[in-house]
Amino acid sequence: MNARAPQPRNVLTQSLAQIGACGLFLLTLLAAVPRSFRYLRETIRQLWFVGAMSLTIIMVCGLFVGMVLMLQLYHVLSIFGGTSASGMVVALSVYRELGPVVTALLFAGRAGTAVTAEIGLMRATDQISAMEMMAVDPVAYVATPRFLAGLIAMPLLSCVFCAMAIFGGHLVGVTWLGIDNGTFWSNMTAQVDVHTDIINGVLLKSLAFGAVVSLIAVFQGFTTPPTSEGVAYATTRTVVASSIAILALDFVLTAFLM
Amino acid sequence: MTETVRATPDDATLVRIRGLTTVLGGKTIFDALDLDIPRGKITSIMGPSGTGKTTLLKHITGQMYADAGSIHVDGRNVAELSRDELYKLREGVGYLFQNSALLTDFDVFENVAFPLRQHTRLPEVLIRNLVLMKLQAVGLRGAARLMPNELSGGMARRVALARAIVFDPQLILYDEPFVGLDPVALNQVIKLILTLNRTLGITSVVVSHELAAVQRIADHVVLLSNGKVVAQGDPATIADDGSPWTRQFFGGEADGPIPFRYPAGDYATELGFAGAAK
Repeated sequence: MNARAPQPRNVLTQSLAQIGACGLFLLTLLAAVPRSFRYLRETIRQLWFVGAMSLTIIMVCGLFVGMVLMLQLYHVLSIFGGTSASGMVVALSVYRELGPVVTALLFAGRAGTAVTAEIGLMRATDQISAMEMMAVDPVAYVATPRFLAGLIAMPLLSCVFCAMAIFGGHLVGVTWLGIDNGTFWSNMTAQVDVHTDIINGVLLKSLAFGAVVSLIAVFQGFTTPPTSEGVAYATTRTVVASSIAILALDFVLTAFLM
Repeated sequence: MTETVRATPDDATLVRIRGLTTVLGGKTIFDALDLDIPRGKITSIMGPSGTGKTTLLKHITGQMYADAGSIHVDGRNVAELSRDELYKLREGVGYLFQNSALLTDFDVFENVAFPLRQHTRLPEVLIRNLVLMKLQAVGLRGAARLMPNELSGGMARRVALARAIVFDPQLILYDEPFVGLDPVALNQVIKLILTLNRTLGITSVVVSHELAAVQRIADHVVLLSNGKVVAQGDPATIADDGSPWTRQFFGGEADGPIPFRYPAGDYATELGFAGAAK
């Protein structure tokens, strides 16, 4: 981990080198999974930090996304007299796209940055070296538990986000704008398919996003120069790289899963 | 956990370094360095800042590998050990980091207990007693429940020392243990290093450039400069060996064999006066 690759000159080769290094780091992470089972308590502790502690932001954002979506759709659909379908459209857009994508973006900002900064500071204060000197593998003890925690937390957070968005849609559509409660739910249940929308749409996508965001966050933390400037840059890079990766991966996954 | 059966029990040398060569970023840190660290003694490695004293400790513990040469610790070549063997070796080596490197998530007690919890399945009551014994040895049993950010620099270093000796290592490496301590804390650390060496026979390597402190504890002093051993011997007499290098280092003269100026090109040329000089 101490040795740093020689820096290539132009941006393209530099990015490719980063992606390559990130890929190799993923292999190291996965190889350390069996060893990290010893640190189950650490994984649970991280799950608390990245999962449970992200609940507030995910729930509040989910609620508002559902509310605004319903408000917009109601006005567009009322032109065609199709307001009864608005609940169903809210549900489909949230399950297929907004749920996993917005959750992942929020997750990168809330949990990814925290993980990068934490590991970066652990490196800067020699805590990672100290673990190595105490014969504790820092990849198995620090990196893998955070990676696994992100992997587990993301699908769960996505589900919470979707539920809150539907609730927000219901609040605006049924309670405020007066769509019939029965129509709202029956249209939704008729059109939402468990396999395409819930399993492929929410769970599979958010699992992939969780893996990518956690990998980037942990990788940036481990490879940052151990200075305050280095940690600042690494945190920024986590958000930028995660956002690009999430949106690009979303397109690829949608193309394959639809 | 310390191995009682040693590969070469009669060998008076615990760490044997031969032909060590390291180049970092184009700069030669070690140039075919040969060095022996005697078993059961306190060896002090001195030298100006940037001579690679910390790098040497990292080589000995396998945190960093040299470009050439070999390091044998207790008869085993560090560079040839597998990951598991290296970790096994490190369990018998204590390392005191310059900035203590305590785990900030845990309190003092858990920091000292950390290696025990990771490598053993001892009952909780035994872990508790072992940790309290080590904390008592460094005089901080009463601070067991403080967090690392509540400790002064000297206390943090003593906690780190308690953590380093929790497995009763045969070798402790101290990286600049005297830096940034007030006179009282300095004497406490000196006393601890001496006690650990004299009572438990732990081989100690102290990297430092504070002569007064080193003279009080070291059995053997090694001076490094420009990647080589420039002098070694008894701490009381080493300052008087007559070489210009030791005279400058211990006399604290600003210029001499250790140059005041970092190597640079011609001064007049750089200022644009090259023509005028002719």
